[in-house]
Amino acid sequence: MNDLEKKVVDLIAEVLVDVNKENIQMNSKIVEDLGAESLDIYDMIALLEDEFGLEITDEEVEKIQTVQDVADFIKDHRKAS
Amino acid sequence: MQHRVAVTGMGMVTCLGSGVKANWEAVTAGRSGIGPITLFDTERFATRIAGEVRNNFDPEGFIPVKELRRMDRYQHFALVAAGEAIRDSGIKFPPDDPWRCGVVIGSGIGGLASIENGHNVLLKDGPRRVPPMMIPMSVINLAPGIISIKYGFKGPNFGLVNACTSGTSAIGEAYRLVREGRADLVLAGGAEAVVTPLAISAFNALRALSTRNDDPEKASRPFDKDRNGFVISEGAGMLVLESYEHALARGAVIQAEIVGYGATDDAYHFVMPDPDGEGAYRAMKLAVEDAGVTPEEIGYINAHGTSTELNDKMETSAIKRLMGPAAKTVAISSTKSMTGHLIGAAGAVEAIYSVMAIKNGVIPPTINLETPDPECDLDYTPNKAARREVEYAISNSFAFGGQNASLALKRHSENGKSPYRI
Repeated sequence: MNDLEKKVVDLIAEVLVDVNKENIQMNSKIVEDLGAESLDIYDMIALLEDEFGLEITDEEVEKIQTVQDVADFIKDHRKAS
Repeated sequence: MQHRVAVTGMGMVTCLGSGVKANWEAVTAGRSGIGPITLFDTERFATRIAGEVRNNFDPEGFIPVKELRRMDRYQHFALVAAGEAIRDSGIKFPPDDPWRCGVVIGSGIGGLASIENGHNVLLKDGPRRVPPMMIPMSVINLAPGIISIKYGFKGPNFGLVNACTSGTSAIGEAYRLVREGRADLVLAGGAEAVVTPLAISAFNALRALSTRNDDPEKASRPFDKDRNGFVISEGAGMLVLESYEHALARGAVIQAEIVGYGATDDAYHFVMPDPDGEGAYRAMKLAVEDAGVTPEEIGYINAHGTSTELNDKMETSAIKRLMGPAAKTVAISSTKSMTGHLIGAAGAVEAIYSVMAIKNGVIPPTINLETPDPECDLDYTPNKAARREVEYAISNSFAFGGQNASLALKRHSENGKSPYRI
């Protein structure tokens, strides 16, 4: 895991307090594997937007399935800006 | 058929501590819970004191962290007090018939801190950053909502907004639900957490709060000539009300009975009570009539007793009108002298103190009553608790908007021979 990926895992663990951090893998599916519900997703988006100073649209949220997708999104977005 | 209504469980959180036991020890010892505000920087505020919930309040030991973050402080108080009341009642959960178990919670303002926070975020960072949970954290019906989620109570469920009578009104309406047979058991009470910058500045704008900042423990002084406003505080009180048959059938301990409820409105002014006390008098009279007793049979009145000049005089004259010569001998106290004014939770906390007074034969005092107001000349149990057997008590709450509500409570006799008139 690189630094960005580690940071993403930390943030997801902060939202999903019931999930053991060691169980959060880059290929974990956020809803199916980690049990996130809709309110968790809202919290996660708010936290990611704050942390990385970016904006995630509803369409973009729908494409994000795994922890890796989150990290990739942030990497791409940072590159673009 | 009308049912008798038993109190089978109680729970509370106030500035005097968490739990009924800690609270009862403090109020009977005449201890004040008022101190400097620590929840925010008060430098520019006229009032810098309140009854904050601090010592021994540990919602994390009771509510999972994720849920905790999604609740306002007033909801933390509601859930923790409800938990104590449910444990105290011994009712198992989920209950056998969840559709017969209800929840009625009163609050004056609900999650004001969450609204203030959401608005601050809106101004600073824009509409996209407003927290998604701001609405469920701020609305009042989510207090009964989260309690029903936790305990699986699926019967009548609502939030009730009646300013400073909210807690009393919630218990009164819950009492009616049980009495009329529309539920076997209702968890009822009040919760409030409005020690916030906006609330303090707004109450200051109304000149309603004491500004005795240099002497917080002396600031709440109902019926005393040197009062200068009420002291705002926070917390929650919850009671399990249950039909007498339901309580007996499961072998519950009956702590007292609720036997009367009266509710009126002054129809007079936004924030001032009608100085004639007509509405307050009639609320008490309705509660006493509902209980089927005469006013002379009332042994204790837990007064609304806010420590404002208008309320204290109005309430005194209303009690005199209700009780006639017996007004001189009835034991009265304002526990707000120690707890401060919990706004929508006040009536619920005071109903619990009233039950404890009846159960234990002890009247909590009105502290800081050093120079009696000549127009407030009854027995307010000044400064020290008093031993006194009480068969019937009433608990008063009056509010901005002119709402008045009184509950009548009755001692429960172990031998079951105690007379009860419906």
